[in-house]
This record gives sequence, C-alpha cells and structure tokens, in this order.
Amino acid sequence: MVKLRARCLLLGDAAVGKSALSHIFYSDGTLFQKNYSMTTGVELLMKCVNIPETTDSVELYIIDTAGKETFVEACKKMWGEPSLLCLVFDLTSEQSFANCSRWMERVQPHCRGLHVPGVLVGNKSDLSARREVQASVASEWAQSQGLDYHETSAKELENCDAVLLSLARAFHSLYQERREAVQNLSPG
Amino acid sequence: MTDLSLSSLGAKVVLATSSDENHPAENIIDRNTKTYWMTTGMFPQEFIIRFSEPTQIATVTLDSYNVKHMKIEKNTSQSATQFEFVTEKEFESTEGHLQSNAISLNGCSATHLRFIITSGYDHFVSVHNVSMKN
Ligand SMILES: Nc1nc2c(ncn2[C@@H]2O[C@H](COP(=O)(O)OP(=O)(O)OP(=O)(O)O)[C@@H](O)[C@H]2O)c(=O)[nH]1
Ligand SMILES: [Mg+2]
Repeated sequence: MVKLRARCLLLGDAAVGKSALSHIFYSDGTLFQKNYSMTTGVELLMKCVNIPETTDSVELYIIDTAGKETFVEACKKMWGEPSLLCLVFDLTSEQSFANCSRWMERVQPHCRGLHVPGVLVGNKSDLSARREVQASVASEWAQSQGLDYHETSAKELENCDAVLLSLARAFHSLYQERREAVQNLSPG
Repeated sequence: MTDLSLSSLGAKVVLATSSDENHPAENIIDRNTKTYWMTTGMFPQEFIIRFSEPTQIATVTLDSYNVKHMKIEKNTSQSATQFEFVTEKEFESTEGHLQSNAISLNGCSATHLRFIITSGYDHFVSVHNVSMKN
C-alpha cells in the first residue's frame, strides 16, 4: 500500500470551467455553479483518488488558479512546482483551445526540467450545437504534448471522474516506473 | 574517526513524511544500500533519527538517489521538536548509480537529527543508507 501526493495545477483561459470542474471533483459531483464567479487568486482543494485493483491511492492537491490575464502574473508565484497538469479549454471557444500552447509554455519554467504528466480537458460538451473544436484535433494536439485527452461537461457531470482517475493513474505509473529504476541502480 | 554503530546506539527513524509499506523508513539505517526509503510525491520531505542518548557526530554519509538539496537540523532534547540548523548541502545528480555524500557535522552532539530534502532531481527520491562517524 502506498499513498502518493501530487500537486495538480489547473490551467486554462478564463471562464472555461476550471472552478466548476474542481468543485465537482471535490464534491463528488454534487456542486455545479451556474453563475460565473471569476477566480482572482488561487484556491486549493484536496481530493483522494483510489487506484482501481490496488490498495494504492493518490492525494491530489488541486490548485485552481485565475485564467484571466490581469491576475495570471500574480498567481504564478503560487503555482509552485507541479507534479501534474490539468489544462482546460472550452469546446465552444476555438480561442481557448488555441491558447493552450501558451499555457504550456508558461508552466514550463515551473517544472524544473522534469517531465510533468497530465491531461487536456475539453469542457462544456453539453453545448454540442456551439462546438468549435473537434475532438480529433484536440486529441492530436494533446498527444503531441504528452497529455491524455478527455471531454467533460461539468454541468451535466459528464466524464469528470475520468479526468481525476486519469490524473491519479498518470502519477501512479510514474511512481512505479521510478521505483523500478531505483531497484536496478548500482551502488555509488 | 570511527564508524558509529547505529543499532547499538539505539538509533531509530521516528518520523518520515512518506510511506510505501514496501520501502519503509527503517531501511535508511539498516546498513544495506539495496534497501531504501522512497518519497511519494512533492517536496519538502523529511525523516528524523533519534538516539537513545546525546551522541557526538563528526560526519554523516548519505547514500541516496535524485536528492538535490539536503538540510540537516538537530536537537538535544527528548522530544522531536525545536530543531536548530546544522548544515545544508546541494547534491550532484548521478544517473544510474547512487549518490554518496559525506557531510561534516563538526562533532556536534544530538539526540535527534532531522534530514530535510527540500528539492529533488525527480518527483521521487530515495534514501538508501545513512551512516555516521564520531
Ligand atoms: N454549459 C456549461 N457551462 C459550464 C460548464 N462548466 C462551467 N460552465 C460555466 O462557465 C462559467 C465559467 O466557469 P468557471 O468554472 O468559473 O470558469 P474558470 O475557468 O474557473 O474561470 P476563471 O476563474 O476566470 O479562470 C460559469 O458560468 C459556469 O457555470 C459546462 O460543462 N457546461
Ligand atoms: Mg475559476
């Protein structure tokens, strides 16, 4: 049995649904806020995820930060050194998807040269008539960045669990990989 | 300088911030570099070694992997609180083999030694052995 701990950074443009998702992660899908309340600072939530078919678990320290440009610089100081990334865009906004590469560039200096696993989330899948980003395009870009791709609706509680599980699994497999490597080390 | 036998000094690891039951913190002082304690995510991470009585220590040698920065604190009290700074060291990265770092503690006397890993070269680091000389 092992309990892992990961600092998971939620990133993406303003109003894509980062806070909506993080509240759903936290409340096991009971809290969806319809009214937009802009995040201006940083909010921390803890969520423990069990890895299926093992006795292992991952405690995710989810950092929900402001997407609005005016607040980003000030928030960066609180990003810390992430163990996981959860990059979110709005499926009904081409612009929010295009800005994802900018978010990846911004977070790089915080990763200390380490490989930081994570997911790309296309949110608001319930608004299918207004969709501007095709799943195949998003999924291809995610792959090029080493991220898993998921589509969610925080409003309809669609697929939000899959995101959490994917994050926890990514960190868990990284741990197993590293532990294996340590096992095979030669003495100093 | 002679090697201190940690077991005959009643040394124990009384606290460690990470736990993988297959790689417990006792592995740090079992004189075997094949067994290790592994951290399980995020920094800082720490472990505390207690001696049954105040012990003078000239140097401590750490065998580890992917540790970047180590800070050592001590106290001379019965409880694991109120530590004072002793020294700190930046470890070099080694690929494929263990780091081995000897750190001078200037013969200070301690009942608790606190090892704080403030950063690593990877998400997870391991400590394989701690030995001491007086
Ligand atoms: N239809 C629909 N609306 C959503 C969904 N997720 C979030 N919203 C709405 O989108 C708006 C913005 O959501 P937030 O979660 O506050 O967005 P955010 O990414 O945290 O924004 P910032 O804090 O400014 O960075 C709110 O009005 C939400 O109710 C969704 O899946 N579907
Ligand atoms: Mg928000």
